[in-house]
Amino acid sequence: MAAQQNSNTVNNTGEKIIIPKKTVWMRMKENKVAYLFLLPKLIFFTVFMLIPILWAFVISFQDRGVFDVDYVGFKHYFEAFQSPIFRAALWNTLLYTIVTVPAFIITALIIASFIYPLGQVSQAFFRSAFYLPTVTSMVIIAMVWRWMYNYRFGLFNYIIGFFGFEPVNWLGQTSTALPSLMIMAILIPPGAGIIIYLAAMNNINPSLYEAADIDGANAFQKWIRITIPLLKPTTLYLVILSTIGSFQVFTQIIMMTGGGPGYSTETLVHVIYKTAFRDFNFGLASAQSVILFFIIMGFAIVQFKSLRTEK
Amino acid sequence: MKSMKKLMAAGVLTIGLTALTACGGSSSGGSEDIDSWEDWTGTITIWDGPRWADEDENQYHWIEEKAAEFEEMYPGVEIEIVQQPWAELGDALSIAIAGQTWPDIAPVDISGGAISINHIESGVIESTDDFFTEEELTDFYPNTLEAYEYNGSLYGIPSGVSVQTMLLNLEIFEEKGVEPPVDGRWTYDEFVETMIALTDDEVYGFSTYILDSYYEAWPFLFMDGGYPLNEDMTEYTFDSPEAISGLQKLMDLKFEYGVAPMEMGGADVGGTFQAFAALDQRTIAVQPWSTWAINTLQTEEYQMNFMVAEYPIGDLGEPVTIGGVGGYVMFKQEDEFKRQMVAEFMKYITSTEEQYVTAKNYGTFPARESSAEMNPHAENPHMAAAQELTEQVISVPMHPDWARIDEVIQSELQLALNGEKTAQEALESARSEVERILNN
Repeated sequence: MAAQQNSNTVNNTGEKIIIPKKTVWMRMKENKVAYLFLLPKLIFFTVFMLIPILWAFVISFQDRGVFDVDYVGFKHYFEAFQSPIFRAALWNTLLYTIVTVPAFIITALIIASFIYPLGQVSQAFFRSAFYLPTVTSMVIIAMVWRWMYNYRFGLFNYIIGFFGFEPVNWLGQTSTALPSLMIMAILIPPGAGIIIYLAAMNNINPSLYEAADIDGANAFQKWIRITIPLLKPTTLYLVILSTIGSFQVFTQIIMMTGGGPGYSTETLVHVIYKTAFRDFNFGLASAQSVILFFIIMGFAIVQFKSLRTEK
Repeated sequence: MKSMKKLMAAGVLTIGLTALTACGGSSSGGSEDIDSWEDWTGTITIWDGPRWADEDENQYHWIEEKAAEFEEMYPGVEIEIVQQPWAELGDALSIAIAGQTWPDIAPVDISGGAISINHIESGVIESTDDFFTEEELTDFYPNTLEAYEYNGSLYGIPSGVSVQTMLLNLEIFEEKGVEPPVDGRWTYDEFVETMIALTDDEVYGFSTYILDSYYEAWPFLFMDGGYPLNEDMTEYTFDSPEAISGLQKLMDLKFEYGVAPMEMGGADVGGTFQAFAALDQRTIAVQPWSTWAINTLQTEEYQMNFMVAEYPIGDLGEPVTIGGVGGYVMFKQEDEFKRQMVAEFMKYITSTEEQYVTAKNYGTFPARESSAEMNPHAENPHMAAAQELTEQVISVPMHPDWARIDEVIQSELQLALNGEKTAQEALESARSEVERILNN
């Protein structure tokens, strides 16, 4: 592989040989069958993802009526940041992400670590048990949680009432509404994370643990010194994925609070949705989407740089 | 190698042809070689939401029957019905408008929901002025026409009216030995007195919710003379002493008199209704709802013994409520003969007879006087009582950005009703953002 990238190298007898550089096109031609198989997916990706994303970027500089288009430069970007509602949504989304993503990762890692030492049958059982809830629609989950948070009939107020505490208006107070949504996100089992961590744990070479046993390491030391470092690429993948998902939080908001009370649970995607499909302001909605895109990209770059494994 | 090239070429050709076919669209008829709109043939597309069910549980049977009748009257005309759940109709229509793939007719108004005045200004909505004589228009209640008027022109046909009413659970009134208001009319003080008498450890007198685009609580803000915007809709006026006093009266029910539960003012529409209506709850004696709730409470699922009352009377000296006007609008047409045929179908489904039928079965009130005279709710005293409230209707301002203004005000109302702001703070807080929207 390294020889393909260098034009000059040295053979076993010490003679300098020149290997012609292969262009991207030449390498693509070599793998044309593979590209042919990838073509349908690439076409769909281009038509339904890439072009709409680029189109949204273009629209963000336009005032679009139904029949006419005016170029307005960065007007929508300034307008987005001038709006107190957008700023509130940005802050709420950041807070939601900062709290829920680490919680998701830590919970998934701990649960997967408890499942990993079990036998195959037990592992399969717990994998299914934790993964099954993730196939449930978020709409259904949100409806159930809304009932659990109900002031008078909800499960949470019943439990705290049992211990003599006053009921809490969970979703009706600005001080508790966003934390309630965060608690919900944290308490939903991180099924996908557990599955991915378990798969990664099963790929760790057992001889590393055997060597640690010989050195007298206990279970916690092995977890800290071997498991967690070797899971770093998996953690990076999960952190990036869950950050993207967290920034795009929407269903819970529209089902449980509508962004209120006040704007205490307003989030970026909910604002984008309202701007586009309630106010018909597609230019502003696209600018808000582009801002969200760059925020997520910024987070992903920082996460990638801080968590990537050096070769 | 050659076979690979052929395969790739075939693939590209297939994709190209598919794309071309997709872009082609379908013809919806034409006017070549005809002299009159009555000879026009082609397809008219109408979107409609579910209405009352027939014996097969089909909630679209009424519009299907009307389409079939119309097709028989005008051979060569095909009415294509696209079934749209009400909850999704607004979003679906917004997307269709953005992509210029709108239907010919849709059941919406121009108050700023799925369709707004912006769409009229940009030419998406057709005027219906040409299709009604002055005499025909006199059959419509003036306030129903106002809901479809902009700059002196009519943009749609009203087909029905709904109003917010106070619904009283008479079982709770009876249980507590409390008399409901005579003729459903009460002053605010009498209302408070009644709510106090109804409230105990298990039952609250009153409750409602606050959510964007829902106005069950707003007649309280209007009862002393408050209104969101000035007459020419250039200035925010909801922080007037009258509006603040109205909001204070609503807040007092919760914080001063303790006749409303802690969750009053939250955004849980379903939970609020179930607390009032569900057989295993019924912990609220009085709630304001739109007229759809009257029909719902009469179903087997609820079977509630209830009555319809007015909102309490405030400083205005007379009861006020909020209402909505339903109807149909026509989207931009390229073909003049088709435009006339589409209008003819709209007139057909909003005729005197049809407004009578839909009012009777769907729980609305006719927009036509001639339909109302047929007394569609003669056998339903609750609906008849609610119909009297249509005269008290105050509508929200018809501003192009009303949805955004509404959101700002509603979010402040939530904060007032959960005790985080005073009435004055809440309504004054909305000013800067509403004025930013008005001045934009």
